[in-house]
Amino acid sequence: MIRRLDISSLDVRALMSYDACTRCGECTETCPTGGEAQDVEMVTPRGKILRLRELYKAQYGLRARILGPKKISDAELKEFAARAYECTICGQCRTVCPSHLDTIEMWENMREFLVANSLGPLSAHEPIVKSIENYDNPWMQPRTQRSRWSKRLGEEARIGDSLKDDHEILYFVGCTAAYDPNIRPMAENTARVLTHAKVDFGTLGNEEGCCGSTMMRTGLSESAKAMVLRNIERFERASPSIIVTSCAGCYKTIRQDYPKYGKLPAPIVHVTEFALDLMNSGHISPIGRVDKTVSFHDPCHLGRHAGLYEQPRSILQSIPGVKLVEMHRNREDARCCGAGGGVKTAFPELATGISELRVADAESVGCEVLTTSCPFCYQSLKSAVSARGSNMEMVDLMEFLWNSVHAPR
Amino acid sequence: MGLYSSILIKPDMPDGRYLSERALLYVPFFAMIVFASAIILLLPYDTVYVRDQAYLQMFLVTVVVCTAVFLLGTLHNVLLWMRGKGLVSTPEKRLLCFAGRALRLLFSRMLARALGVFVRDALYLSRLKGRSWSRWFMHIMILGGFVLMFVLDLVVTLSLDVLQYQPMIEESGWAKLWLRDVGFEVAGLMMLIGLSIAAIRRFILKPSIVRTELPDAASIIFLLAVVAGGFVLEGIGIAGTIPGHQENVEYSFLGYAVSVMLPASSGEFYDAAWLVHGIMSALLIAYIPFSKMFHMIASPIAIELDGIMAGKEALS
Ligand code: SF4
Ligand code: SF4
Repeated sequence: MIRRLDISSLDVRALMSYDACTRCGECTETCPTGGEAQDVEMVTPRGKILRLRELYKAQYGLRARILGPKKISDAELKEFAARAYECTICGQCRTVCPSHLDTIEMWENMREFLVANSLGPLSAHEPIVKSIENYDNPWMQPRTQRSRWSKRLGEEARIGDSLKDDHEILYFVGCTAAYDPNIRPMAENTARVLTHAKVDFGTLGNEEGCCGSTMMRTGLSESAKAMVLRNIERFERASPSIIVTSCAGCYKTIRQDYPKYGKLPAPIVHVTEFALDLMNSGHISPIGRVDKTVSFHDPCHLGRHAGLYEQPRSILQSIPGVKLVEMHRNREDARCCGAGGGVKTAFPELATGISELRVADAESVGCEVLTTSCPFCYQSLKSAVSARGSNMEMVDLMEFLWNSVHAPR
Repeated sequence: MGLYSSILIKPDMPDGRYLSERALLYVPFFAMIVFASAIILLLPYDTVYVRDQAYLQMFLVTVVVCTAVFLLGTLHNVLLWMRGKGLVSTPEKRLLCFAGRALRLLFSRMLARALGVFVRDALYLSRLKGRSWSRWFMHIMILGGFVLMFVLDLVVTLSLDVLQYQPMIEESGWAKLWLRDVGFEVAGLMMLIGLSIAAIRRFILKPSIVRTELPDAASIIFLLAVVAGGFVLEGIGIAGTIPGHQENVEYSFLGYAVSVMLPASSGEFYDAAWLVHGIMSALLIAYIPFSKMFHMIASPIAIELDGIMAGKEALS
């Protein structure tokens, strides 16, 4: 019997978009995984679109209606699935597509379709998925260790428990900053900056759950939904005025994806927006000089996905001595770091190749300190800096700000 | 096993409801096809250039069939979109709901925005212009020529066959000279320039972003053949002094240039050339839903949706 693809998980808009692709190829050159790192058509946005269209039309198109659905071999399907996951969901293709296809939504939906047809996620993603399902974080760490990072700060930061007491601001830490020892400073410096600005804030402590981004990006929308609803329920219990997060992935997910499942009880802002507000209202002032040439790498989840480009730059520019230089590809056109969309997990070499290209971008403009505001970008760019033996320093934006804010006058 | 045997349609849905939901779409849809066919067949066509009535009839029948194929093919594609996520009844019913929503847009505050998006992004292709002037020029020539030709076709058919507007009929009438002659020449020339650039890019220069497969080649060659065929037809008409091609022929400047290269005897083949050109144009229309040219319909919808979503986000 012919295995018929289940297209009921493909969005109406996505199905329409597959027909709207003009095959112009504008998206192919700048695609970090398809055009730049390897010249494989099926990995490019156009390639993925045409291939999937070809597959489902073979079973649901006019010819299939008249002559019956065509058999598609398992090998063909598996090859397509693997290629579809070779995408960081960076959104570069969305910004260049003359047909204005919302490719970010299309790729995520394509993965939902692969999951619905038992073709995804890839086996390389399974440990992470299992970890999230069992421990509520991708790092296979016990839930009880989630808030350990905050204990280490001692008197340096006043971090409340938003589920026990009333706090105006809820700081959503995110799994990576909470558990990964190399990224922990991101959470610590955020807490220091907030404390310094006398912000009344708390966290969800050990009850904070994974935001669900990994599940959504790998196509596991049903599991993601359960996680989203659990987190929304916690937000409701905490009832803050504003939710702040320092993770670009959590920010994008909570801001753009949560409303598809439920109502957020408070608006969410990224810490760069919040810190800039604190600076503008005089609650913090960067005073320590940093006489360095600094560049900012736009995380895809913050930039192309959410349109936050100027806030991090304004923060950097307000730090005395900083000479901000832009890489040739910046803001909407910024090259992806290569880590997103599950690519680093399933295709680590591909991810490394892309992040090295980004580091080369920064080197080519004489950057001494490369900053960013996303744990994944930070991690992959930092490894690429060492892999290239570069003299450049990789610094998280909150650390950079904190160093200037608390420097002696 | 019914027509909708796939897992998409819940088997517990009473068949009767399928029928009524589908009838709501198909009855008006087929009525529209019949109505369009009747108009095509019943217009007087007193002023067409072809002299042999049998050729005219053959052309009209082809147009009717091709129009029906185009509409049915388009409907088939659109119904496939409707089978996507969240389907609770029939794709036909869903399509009607979407159509209703699209109609409501006409009376909403989003209309101005939707029109702006259409002009800026779907017609003027502003995003492509920002990326590459040459690629934008190529596409705008093809698109502009196509749109202009479509509009002129409507205006000319209405003026000739419904209104019997004399300046459109008389050899020296302003509308005949500037719309029927110059207008079509400009539209055709725009398409010819755009398509020639596209063909050179695709078949000779082969930049890395261009990928040529059979459907890409077929669409360009088909379009080029139809457009170039139009100028050849015009040239034959002028060279053979066919009625309607006897005075002020220089207004059809490209056709006139072609006529210089043709003998007067080529006029004998005018009717045959007219029929071939007409049938090819009709086949081109029928081919749209089954080719990459279907983006002509889907792409503006994608652009509109994107613009409207962005607008909604801005409003909220
Ligand atoms: S989202 Fe990025 S990686 Fe994925 S296809 Fe588009 S440009 Fe390529
Ligand atoms: S840029 Fe858009 S329309 Fe062009 S090939 Fe890529 S996805 Fe298709």
